[in-house]
Amino acid sequence: MTEDNKNHGKSHGRDYGIQTTSGLGVEGRKRYAMVIDLRKCTGCGSCVVACKSEHDVPLGVWRMWLKTEDKGTYPDVKRTFLPRLCNHCEYPICVRNCPTQATFKHEDGFVLQRFNRCIGCRTCVIACPYNARHLLPNHRTDEKQPVGVVDKCDYCIHRVKRGLVPTCVSTCVGGAFTFGDLNDPKSEVSKLVKKNSVMTLKPEIGTHPQTYYIGLDEGIADQVASYRHRSAQMKEEYNTFKKNHEGFHGDLTEGGSHIVVQVVRNFLGFLKEIPAKAGRVLGLGG
Amino acid sequence: MEREVIANAFHHVTWGVPISIYFWLMGVSAGAHVISGFGWVFGLKKYKQVGLIATLWAIGVLLIVPVLLIFDLGRPERFFHLLTPGYWHGSAPMSWGTILIMLYPTMMIVYGYFIFKNNAKWAFIFGICGIISAGSTHWYTGVVIQLNPARDINHTALASVLFLLGAFISGTGFLIVTFWFMNIFVNPMRRFRDRFRQEGFAYRFLKANSIGDKVEDSLVVEMGQIMAIGVGIELLMTFNEFLQMNYGTAEEQASLFDVLLGVARVPYMAHVFIALVIPFFILIFTPLKRSPGVVTICSAMVCTGILGMRVWWVLGGQFLQTFF
Ligand code: SF4
Ligand code: SF4
Repeated sequence: MTEDNKNHGKSHGRDYGIQTTSGLGVEGRKRYAMVIDLRKCTGCGSCVVACKSEHDVPLGVWRMWLKTEDKGTYPDVKRTFLPRLCNHCEYPICVRNCPTQATFKHEDGFVLQRFNRCIGCRTCVIACPYNARHLLPNHRTDEKQPVGVVDKCDYCIHRVKRGLVPTCVSTCVGGAFTFGDLNDPKSEVSKLVKKNSVMTLKPEIGTHPQTYYIGLDEGIADQVASYRHRSAQMKEEYNTFKKNHEGFHGDLTEGGSHIVVQVVRNFLGFLKEIPAKAGRVLGLGG
Repeated sequence: MEREVIANAFHHVTWGVPISIYFWLMGVSAGAHVISGFGWVFGLKKYKQVGLIATLWAIGVLLIVPVLLIFDLGRPERFFHLLTPGYWHGSAPMSWGTILIMLYPTMMIVYGYFIFKNNAKWAFIFGICGIISAGSTHWYTGVVIQLNPARDINHTALASVLFLLGAFISGTGFLIVTFWFMNIFVNPMRRFRDRFRQEGFAYRFLKANSIGDKVEDSLVVEMGQIMAIGVGIELLMTFNEFLQMNYGTAEEQASLFDVLLGVARVPYMAHVFIALVIPFFILIFTPLKRSPGVVTICSAMVCTGILGMRVWWVLGGQFLQTFF
């Protein structure tokens, strides 16, 4: 598989961003990857909770989350789950498009974020095909935590560097998550990828994700199906969430209020933030 | 088979209205600057009288841009990171854009100075540089959102050209509306101008900006015709985009039917009908095209409709994915 991956990488011939070189299949280099066996996922959400507490993830944004879909007609109904996180892509568009090199590809495969460089322009959020990024809000309960910058899953590099697995992996009750070095043929991830038919999300975009799924259902992985087949409750929740969420005044909602009202609300929200931000530019805090 | 997504994270539309307005203003500025160049670069005498005021508007409009861009950042106090060596990232479109956004006003200011001094040679040279930088700056605004394969609405090679054309027509429209205002107040403005000594700076500045002089109706009508040609080309390209999405991938179809004709239909329709179809029809096919008043109304429609385009382009492009 390592060899296959290497060739796959070569056939793409893409190197995105000046810091990114692919280490897949390169001897002596590590290539951390995650394999999620969806057949074992019970949808308990432990991974999401563990991630939230490990990284103090604010309300309204997610480093990892659980997408859930029901399919079939009663009584033949099946519920499928899809834990979602950053794919630590081999060719990450987020890295290529970041104007300050705040996000970069670590030589061991992690796609990481440097908070001290990030200006919060959200170009990377726009660029990521997987919604893996979010802007941290301006107000945090713990004042030492970063604000106004973009954050994302980092495969818990702080744990991995100490010989531990990411927190979602260690918390998973079903044992669905496996983490390891894809360049090491003896690693569990290498074996899993070799033995099973694995899928990645949106392979057609050419990002070559390093989060692999076993037993991925076509519907839950499909962007258009996800959009069209939202439950009524989800639509409602989405609207409520958007209207109430601090920091993104007046995101588009559906059916909630007219788009013109939302556009005006969005702009007014932006204007309201200017004095506080101007204070920060002038070094007055705020 | 029936399926229903019952739980997911709620993702944001992360670039909002300030970015749409930035795209719009940038376009208005670039378009106005090109019109200014008609007189001083391409030698069309009639346009010389409005050269300076067009450039001043282009600069004035541009003054709002840094406010929008800097305060839209999560960390506005760090905007200088965009230009800091060691941080600057050559593969990111926004990095090129930052340089262009700084270069363009500089060129315009120098150009404006030479027009004011009536120095045809240097006005010509800096006019060309200005037009090139205006074009590239607005081309970049299209590119910065075009180069995202994840955004089905925006990921089209037509994007930057659509942006350039939109800039040209909205800039022209904006100037025509300005001229209408100037003509309404021509008498009080002349009285104001004539209070100053003729050899003084204030008088010369006002005169050079045609303040107190009537802008010719024939000029307005001619500009309307030029705008109509731009509107026609933009209409064709927008139709092409429509076809492409209609015959396209599942994502493209959903972008068209669920987003552009669905949740974002108001700005989309504003673009198609208010900016393109109606003005094009009036300015090409009806005798009303010779009426300065009608041309002005059409210009206002084009300007507003192009704002609609910037809104659907930015917001709509992100919408489909917020549920993935
Ligand atoms: S999933 Fe998104 S954020 Fe993560 S590396 Fe890929 S493009 Fe970047
Ligand atoms: S938000 Fe931060 S990490 Fe993302 S592109 Fe902008 S500077 Fe880079």
